[in-house]
Amino acid sequence: MTARGTPSRFLQSVLQNGVGRYVCQLKRISLVFSKKAQSSNGARNFIEEGVVDYAKKNPATVVYISPQPCRIPRLVAEYLNGHVREEVITGKTSQEISDLVTKLTNQSGLDIIRIRKPYHTDSPSIQGQWHPFINRPPSAGPIRPPGTVHE
Amino acid sequence: MASGLLATRGTLTLGLHFQHVCRSVLVTQTRQKKRWMKAYTRIMDAKLKLDGPPPPMRRSEKPNWDYHSEVEAFGVRLQENFQLERLKTAFVNPCYVRLEQEKRGALGLETEVAALVLNDNTELCARGKAFTRDFLSDWCRASYPSLPDEGVAAVLDHLMGFEVVCRVAQNLGVEDLTMSAEFPVPDEVLYGTFCATVAVLEESSGPHRAGLFLRDFLTTQLIGKDLFDMWSVVNPMGLLVEECARRGLPLPEPRLLRSAGASTVLPLFFVGLYTDKKLLAEGPGETLLAAEEEAARVGLKKLYGYTENQRPLDFSPALLQTSQSNTHALSSG
Repeated sequence: MTARGTPSRFLQSVLQNGVGRYVCQLKRISLVFSKKAQSSNGARNFIEEGVVDYAKKNPATVVYISPQPCRIPRLVAEYLNGHVREEVITGKTSQEISDLVTKLTNQSGLDIIRIRKPYHTDSPSIQGQWHPFINRPPSAGPIRPPGTVHE
Repeated sequence: MASGLLATRGTLTLGLHFQHVCRSVLVTQTRQKKRWMKAYTRIMDAKLKLDGPPPPMRRSEKPNWDYHSEVEAFGVRLQENFQLERLKTAFVNPCYVRLEQEKRGALGLETEVAALVLNDNTELCARGKAFTRDFLSDWCRASYPSLPDEGVAAVLDHLMGFEVVCRVAQNLGVEDLTMSAEFPVPDEVLYGTFCATVAVLEESSGPHRAGLFLRDFLTTQLIGKDLFDMWSVVNPMGLLVEECARRGLPLPEPRLLRSAGASTVLPLFFVGLYTDKKLLAEGPGETLLAAEEEAARVGLKKLYGYTENQRPLDFSPALLQTSQSNTHALSSG
C-alpha cells in the first residue's frame, strides 16, 4: 500500500501535555504470565529482577502482576486517554521486556500510525491566508473583471 | 445453546469416550480435530450480531484493580500531594451512596446493622466550583487586562463548561476512579468530581498549588482558541463604537480599501476602520457588510489584546517563584 493509503494523523499531544507540567500518560500496566510455561521464562526473570525497580522509579504507574495459566505472556498497557495496548512477550528476555516497558511508559497512548509531518501548528499560515491583494502595492486600485470601464 | 450442541455432537460422533459425571452433565474427552468449533463460532458470531456488543464495563469491575494504589498513583501522576482519605471522599458521588443504600435495602439489611459510612462530595464539589471560578476569573483579568467583564465571563463560561472540564477530567484519569451510579459516568457527575478534586487539593496543599493545577490543566485549553469562538457578539460594530467612546478615541470610520470581482460569484472586499485618520483594523468579506463586521472583530481583538499573534501566555512551572525572587532582588538591591 502506498503511503497515502495508510492511516495517518498530525503530531499532537494529549491535553497540551508538557505545557505547564508533564504527566506520564501510562496509568497502569499489567503483566500476565504463567508460572510454569517455558514461554514465560523471561517474564518471570523480569519479575525477579526488574519490576520492583520499575515500580519504584514510576510511582505514577500502577503495576499489576497476574500469574495465570497461559501460553502467551503479555503486557497490557492502559493510557490516560483510554487506549489499551497489548504487547506479546513470548520468549523475550528480561532485558527485552524491561526495554519494552520503558518504551510503553514514554508513549502517549495516541494511535501509532504515520505522522504526516514532524511538526504541527494549529494556525498553519504565518503571513495569513492568500488573497488577490498579496504583494500588490496599496496604490493599485480595485481589481475589476477585464473589459469593464474604470470610474 | 452452544454447550448443548457440543454435547450432542460428542454423543453422536464419539460414542466411546463419554462419561456420565452426574445425571445431566456429560463430559467428553477426545484428541482430534475440533469439528464442533466452526459451528460454535458461527453461533457466537450470530449472537453478537443479534445482541450487539456487550455494554461498557467499569474499570473497577475488570481484573487487576486496586483502588488504593490507583488513588495514590493519581496524586503522584499529577505531581500533587493529596490527603488520600479526603481524595477518596472526593470521588464518592451522592448518586453512588444512594444506589448502595438501595442495594442494601433490597438485600434486606437493616440500616442500623449495616450502616453505610460514606461521606459524599457535595460540599467539596460546591467549594471546588467556587474556588475554580474565582481563580479563573482572576487569571483571565491578569492575563487579558483590557478584556471587559462580558468577555471575561464568556471565557470563564467556556473554561468551566461541561465540554472542556469533562474532557480534562477524562484525560486525567478521573473517570476510572469516580464512584457513580451510572456508567459511563454522566457529564454532571464527572464535572462535580473534578471540582471536588480541586477542593481537596486546595485543602491539602494550599490555594497556591491548586491555582497552579488549574492553570496547568484548564487554562492551557485556551491555546489556539479564538476569542469570538467563545464569546458570541451579535453586533461587533456597535461594541467597537462603545469601546472607542469609553477609551476616548474618535468613532471608527469604515472605508473600502480594496475590492475584487464585485460582479462575479466570488467577490472580495477589504474594509478598513480608521480612528483619528489611523488604520485600526482591516478585514475581508464577501459583501461590504460582512467585511465591515470582520474588520470590527479584528479591531476589537486588537483593543482587547487577544490577537492571534500575541505573545504566548506564560505557563512555566516557576512563574510565581521567579516573580517572588525578582521582588526580593529589588528590595535587597
